[in-house]
Amino acid sequence: MENKNFSNKKIDDLFKAKEEFHKKLAKLPFEEKIRILVKLQKIANNINSSSSKKHNVWKISL
Amino acid sequence: MEKTIKIIKELQKEGLIKKYAVGGGIATIFYVEPILTYDLDIFFIPLSEGVLTEEQKELITLSPIYDWFRKKGYKSDKEHIIIEGVPVQFIPVYNELIKDAIEDAVEVKYKNTMIIILKAEYLLAIMLQTFRPKDKERIIKLIDETKIDNIFLTNILQKHKLKEKFDKFKRIYYGK
Repeated sequence: MENKNFSNKKIDDLFKAKEEFHKKLAKLPFEEKIRILVKLQKIANNINSSSSKKHNVWKISL
Repeated sequence: MEKTIKIIKELQKEGLIKKYAVGGGIATIFYVEPILTYDLDIFFIPLSEGVLTEEQKELITLSPIYDWFRKKGYKSDKEHIIIEGVPVQFIPVYNELIKDAIEDAVEVKYKNTMIIILKAEYLLAIMLQTFRPKDKERIIKLIDETKIDNIFLTNILQKHKLKEKFDKFKRIYYGK
């Protein structure tokens, strides 16, 4: 019983830490977020091997 | 994106659009963590006042804009114009909520330029209206990751008859 409660608490802590992580990312400067966006676009295009799912990665100076 | 915004400002200076603001994914990114999106949505009020029908907006508002960019050498890709490396979609005002949102937009700094973006509360209201699966995700992100002025939001929702929808949304996703 003790182990199960500890485990539940650990999971709660993990989810809380995730929430805090998302909030921290939300506070990044706008410029940094756009830089990350372009990286996300490149990653998504690499994952989408079918050309019909590829999109234009922004060609901007970062 | 800085160069893209500067070109859009030129479009406004030359009188092809009256007022504009960045909405959609890019505006949302200003308030929350980076999310995947591929285009820059520009909501705008055309020179001809009022809310236009689908047919009107196509003929009257978008053609001059596409022509202006074409003459400047910018290419289009279906409904997007590729402006300085960024696919841009111009969305003319199509209801009172969008009009209010553009009129009340805010200026934020991006590198060495100022960008006009929709306020978070208006973004949320618009997402409630369009209500696609990704809009629902983005509503949750706005609620969880940025400071929402709840009184301001409530006023917007009540004015545009979205309060009940939002209350239902909160019951489903937040149990309250």
